[in-house]
Amino acid sequence: MYILKNAWISISRNKGRNILIAILIFVIAIASTVTLAIRNAASRLIDSYYDAYQVEATIGMSRENIMGELEEKDKDTILENASNVILTQEKIDSYGDSEYVNNYFYTATTYLNSSQIEAVTSTFEGGNKEGKGGPVRSDQQNSTGDFTIVGYHSYTAMSEFITGDYTITDGSVSEDFSSNSCLVNEELATTNHLEVGDTITFTDPSDSSKTYTLEISGIYTDNENSSDNKMNMFSNSSNKIITNINQVLKMDRNATLSPIYILKSMDVLDAFKEEVSSKGLNEYLEVQDNLSEVENQLSSISNVKTFATTFLGITLLIGGFVLFVINMIHIRERKYEIGVLRTIGMTKSKLSMQFIAEVLIVAFFALVADACVGSVVSVPVANHLLESEINTSRENKENIDRNFGKNDSIPSKEETETNDIKTQEPAEEFDSTSLGGPNVEQITQINAVVDFKVIVQLLLIGLGLTFISSCASMVSIQRFSPLTILKERS
Amino acid sequence: MTVLELKNVGYRYRDAKDNDFVFQNLNYTFELGKIYAIRGKSGTGKTTLLSLLSGLEKCDYGTIAFDGKDLRHMNLDSYRSHQIGIVFQSFNLLPHLTAIENIILSMDISGNKSKYKRQEAIELLKKVGLNEKEGDRRVLKLSGGEQQRVAIARSLSYNPKIILADEPTGNLDAETENDIMKIFKNLAKEGKCIIIVTHSNNVASQADLVFSLAKENKKKSLKKDKNFNTKN
Repeated sequence: MYILKNAWISISRNKGRNILIAILIFVIAIASTVTLAIRNAASRLIDSYYDAYQVEATIGMSRENIMGELEEKDKDTILENASNVILTQEKIDSYGDSEYVNNYFYTATTYLNSSQIEAVTSTFEGGNKEGKGGPVRSDQQNSTGDFTIVGYHSYTAMSEFITGDYTITDGSVSEDFSSNSCLVNEELATTNHLEVGDTITFTDPSDSSKTYTLEISGIYTDNENSSDNKMNMFSNSSNKIITNINQVLKMDRNATLSPIYILKSMDVLDAFKEEVSSKGLNEYLEVQDNLSEVENQLSSISNVKTFATTFLGITLLIGGFVLFVINMIHIRERKYEIGVLRTIGMTKSKLSMQFIAEVLIVAFFALVADACVGSVVSVPVANHLLESEINTSRENKENIDRNFGKNDSIPSKEETETNDIKTQEPAEEFDSTSLGGPNVEQITQINAVVDFKVIVQLLLIGLGLTFISSCASMVSIQRFSPLTILKERS
Repeated sequence: MTVLELKNVGYRYRDAKDNDFVFQNLNYTFELGKIYAIRGKSGTGKTTLLSLLSGLEKCDYGTIAFDGKDLRHMNLDSYRSHQIGIVFQSFNLLPHLTAIENIILSMDISGNKSKYKRQEAIELLKKVGLNEKEGDRRVLKLSGGEQQRVAIARSLSYNPKIILADEPTGNLDAETENDIMKIFKNLAKEGKCIIIVTHSNNVASQADLVFSLAKENKKKSLKKDKNFNTKN
């Protein structure tokens, strides 16, 4: 106990020296606090992305398995077998009936002809401009119809619009997913002089007496602007008509179904894959996920976090070294005191404890002051650094709104604040923040606060660093001979 | 009663040549209740001898025994904080502390758990002729004589059997020197063994036994100084 008392007296009677040490620790700690705040804010941002992120699992062709079989079996047989794999609604429902799935939906695809409009064809292919079977249809998988009709279940399922591959150039996506509205490709609209509000009549390729009429609610453009054939001047989606799933199922009961499962969290993804596999998923199929999308979204914020961690490490390393040097100077300056105390019988260990206690007490006050100042300084600094992330998030949301043709009708949302990250409440009718793709709630503000966690981390790191650097310098105390010190003094 | 005993003590400086000993086969016994004065020319090893007796240095061979126990087998920190008090020419007080705080710190180091340490420190100061007001001053605000009194009071703070004083009056005037010697005499009467290294004839004349550290046949030994009419 007398060690602490003596340490306190020594601090209070040598204010100048201890204030200098405190300032030094304060400067190191401020740098650490700001870095810690940035690092923690980045961590929370990443966590919130993952928390808000809807993990989507889809079922698609397993290239790996197909390629593996190619080495053993005949290529044509394998490709034929793979193309005949049908995912039935019963199977889709069975996979969806899982404890790991929040909900699921699917898109339906069928192929129709039309006598009213002509399909887009490549001029270099010299195909039939009438659009009847002969011309090369860039996106046609099935030769039974000129037009691919894709039905979506909801906005959430319309991933091409969310990722920005498709963008509405005129009109908008209908909010009624049971109506006969549809979206047509800009290239198809131009070729056939179609406008929003026009109706198109399609016929069943196998029975031309069966007709289906869809009304154009919007025209979209394919931003990927690519085709399977490099000689084709049109995009893959030029003959793709987008409508809702109810319409497609009305047209074709046997439409190709593609399921999308929304999982409860990313932690259950592997378990879901195992479960689907155990329920008899065809060997040519596999469960695919969209985790890489969110990882791409988070790459820049992850870089900020990595930078903050590295900077923190460097700060602590340099700070620790500076503290070590200061402690060494401090001890050499107090050699006389050490000599006297050793002469009157104070043990080396108690003497070291007193010196360490002195530095720790000074460090504690410096760290408390740092917590107060750091809480003010770190917020603007960290927010400035993370501003680009907030802007990116905001731009993403605005882009999604625009892709759906909702530029003028972005619903006003009441902001709610959760912890230090503000998110927006979903709107009733249309809310891009709850859509798929990067299925995250939009982050509008990040507060890099010096909270309890940062303060505790700071205290532990600061006191730990001070303790270690003090201990290292205390080694020199062990080497001092009191007699030599006092002789030098005399 | 013998309290300290030197038996064939030999010592050489760490950086000395192999046979360049400061002392070789030094023998003597110190008893309680007496004042010993050790004289000698500068560089003869007086302070070194005191360092050996205080456990600040270790002899190369031979034995220094306190109450019959070899110092090499004792905890020297505990020995210095309980059994011996050391008084230096340059006082060696802690300048950032008051006189009373210097004494209390010494009590703390010796393990004194008393709640009345301040009062005990004041009593010790009174014993060496200082009052409470002076005791509450930082030591650098005190005169040399006062500082040496504080140093003596500090050395008494754990009631040691032996006081080792290295030229305790070297920086003091004659009058103060006499005052300090009175204190030592009183301590000797209380039964303590006082060993003083000094150049002062006045100090030596007031000691019970005066020795000279002198060379004899290339060996140093403690010989009674014939110039002083001591009691023994």
